[in-house]
Amino acid sequence: MAKRLWILALVVVLIASGVFGCSKPAPPSGGGDQQPESSEAPQFDGEILVGIMVPVTGSEATYGQDMENAIRIAADEINAAGGVLGKELKFTLGDDGCDPQMCTAAASKLVSSEVVAVLGGYCSGATIPALKIYGDAKVPFVILAANSTQLIDENPGWAFMINSPGYHQADAAADCFEKLNVSKLALVHQGDGFSENLAELTREEWQGRGHEVVAYDVVNKGEQDFSSLVTKIRSSGAEGVYWTAYHADGAQLIKQLRQGGYTGEIVVADGSSSIQLLEIAGAAGEGVYCTSPPVVEFLPAAQQFISAYNKKYNQQPGPYAGLSYDGTYLLADAIERAGSTDPDAIRDALAATDNFKTLSGTIKFTPENVLEESNFIIIKGEGGKWVLVE
Amino acid sequence: MSLQEIVIQQLFNGLLLGSFYGLVALGYSMVYGIIKLLNFAHADIYMVGGFCSLTILTFFGNTFIGNRWLGIVISMLITMIIVGLLGVIIERVAYKPLRNAPRLSLLITALGVSMILYNSVMVITSGEYRAYKTGLGYEGFSIGSVFVTHTQAILIVAAVALMFVLHLFITRTMYGKAMRAISMDLDCCRLMGVNVNKIIALTFFVGSMLAASAGMMAGVYYGSLHFFMGFVIGIKAFTSAVIGGIGVIPGAMLGGLLLGLLESFGTQIPFIGSEWKDVFSFSILILILIFKPTGLLGKKESERM
Repeated sequence: MAKRLWILALVVVLIASGVFGCSKPAPPSGGGDQQPESSEAPQFDGEILVGIMVPVTGSEATYGQDMENAIRIAADEINAAGGVLGKELKFTLGDDGCDPQMCTAAASKLVSSEVVAVLGGYCSGATIPALKIYGDAKVPFVILAANSTQLIDENPGWAFMINSPGYHQADAAADCFEKLNVSKLALVHQGDGFSENLAELTREEWQGRGHEVVAYDVVNKGEQDFSSLVTKIRSSGAEGVYWTAYHADGAQLIKQLRQGGYTGEIVVADGSSSIQLLEIAGAAGEGVYCTSPPVVEFLPAAQQFISAYNKKYNQQPGPYAGLSYDGTYLLADAIERAGSTDPDAIRDALAATDNFKTLSGTIKFTPENVLEESNFIIIKGEGGKWVLVE
Repeated sequence: MSLQEIVIQQLFNGLLLGSFYGLVALGYSMVYGIIKLLNFAHADIYMVGGFCSLTILTFFGNTFIGNRWLGIVISMLITMIIVGLLGVIIERVAYKPLRNAPRLSLLITALGVSMILYNSVMVITSGEYRAYKTGLGYEGFSIGSVFVTHTQAILIVAAVALMFVLHLFITRTMYGKAMRAISMDLDCCRLMGVNVNKIIALTFFVGSMLAASAGMMAGVYYGSLHFFMGFVIGIKAFTSAVIGGIGVIPGAMLGGLLLGLLESFGTQIPFIGSEWKDVFSFSILILILIFKPTGLLGKKESERM
């Protein structure tokens, strides 16, 4: 009897975990390819068709959907103000599914629909294959979120990245520590590719600026006790600690640093920009700085965009909504400056972008079509919330 | 910090870490001693203890028992009883029917129980970290630049007190005597009229209680909980139990403290650091086992099969 009960319990638990484990919130169904709304629309002299390449299916669908939503908000505003070159901005969607193969298909589809330009690129891996396709077809491509340095190497010259690549974060962190008058720095990462790379870049940057890295250490994943590491950091005389990994262990480290009597500055990287870091760290999270990508909720200039987004989609904009909104405005501006939809002219206009003002900062490209200045922002934990530091 | 201060501080870090390992290791050791089972679910009992106490603390703590030490102590007692009963239920449902089955079947069942426990908690908490808010500050006392918070000091005392009470229970009571007797020869005890099932259930109760108290202490001290938090500590506690001599109660405590100390000093040694501290401590443990395969306090055991 006990055995049978046991099997029954097992089955129930398995079913339950199956049901609950899969019940992710479904992405909101966005509009179709065209949006036949705006009753008092201005008269347009034709249309400009722009491709959107984001994942709207698969594991990253929520982010892709969020980006598409933001692009459409920007386009609505641009069209309401008379469009681009007197023409209406229209979109067609290519779903890259965050998958290199789907990405190739999506890019080919967009090219054959004869789009003037493409906005998109969320997963770096599913953006790289598109670079050559757009390059061969001479389609200007504004990469909104993807920021792997591989994109820079593979770019045939038609793609423009408006999100800072990883090495910009090391700059931002070094700037931040210099402002805080730190000269002896401790770097702590988690041994995974991303956080170790960032710690390495920051070490080079910091030593390149003539400062000292007094501790370079790692926290093993899943471990809870960092007290001996804290003692090591304290005994190294570090004035600043930079944590380059994620929020859950970051919160632990912050707590234990304070518990262990460490009184210097603490800065965390973008993987820790979550509000959960402050929730778990509690009082210890006060005064912690974070190098964060330009997420709209921290940008005072983006309040209008946030409320427009809220109104139209009844949800909060996601992490890459701001960049998507910015990229759409940048493209519209470049087409306007090019004076035609000729691809060479648009590309040259994009390359010539000179301090174009956006929500997340000003855009100016290097010869490699990468942002000249880092768009990372510095936020600080205050009263259990992240606030922007000027 | 001077060298002495670093040594004292790391000694303290190691003691605290070691007492967590020791508390969890006791459960492994007791259960192994009595029914020769490596109870892999034990680490998850620790995790469940953490979550259970958090629930109790947030339900009652803020309302009528205060959210400082009094609240913590009361929720700890309630948690220990609830999770102790959970341990008994697990034994009844999952292990007792297999008591005469081959040891391997029992081992697999333990793995299954472990998965069920952490997956259920994962579903309930949607896999997220939970903040453990106690309102305890970072006040403490410092000697030179050695800094110890009151929380840390109280937790070490509490852990040692629990171990001491357990020691008295095992050595001075009839129940403890029965446990020791069963670990020597189960069938013989049955013939002598010892209620074996009851004593085994009691062993699970006590072991789970200790793990739950460690889970709660970890919550109070580290301030966050996660469904997978038992995994690493489970491995380390199991190692502690083996090092001290599995089945031997004082061995588990000794093993835990030793492992904790090795880890914290390993972090400080140049070229080892926190990246290699586990390699360092486990290498030393392997050396110990080479020279003393039964563990530090283990006795040679004759095969009874």
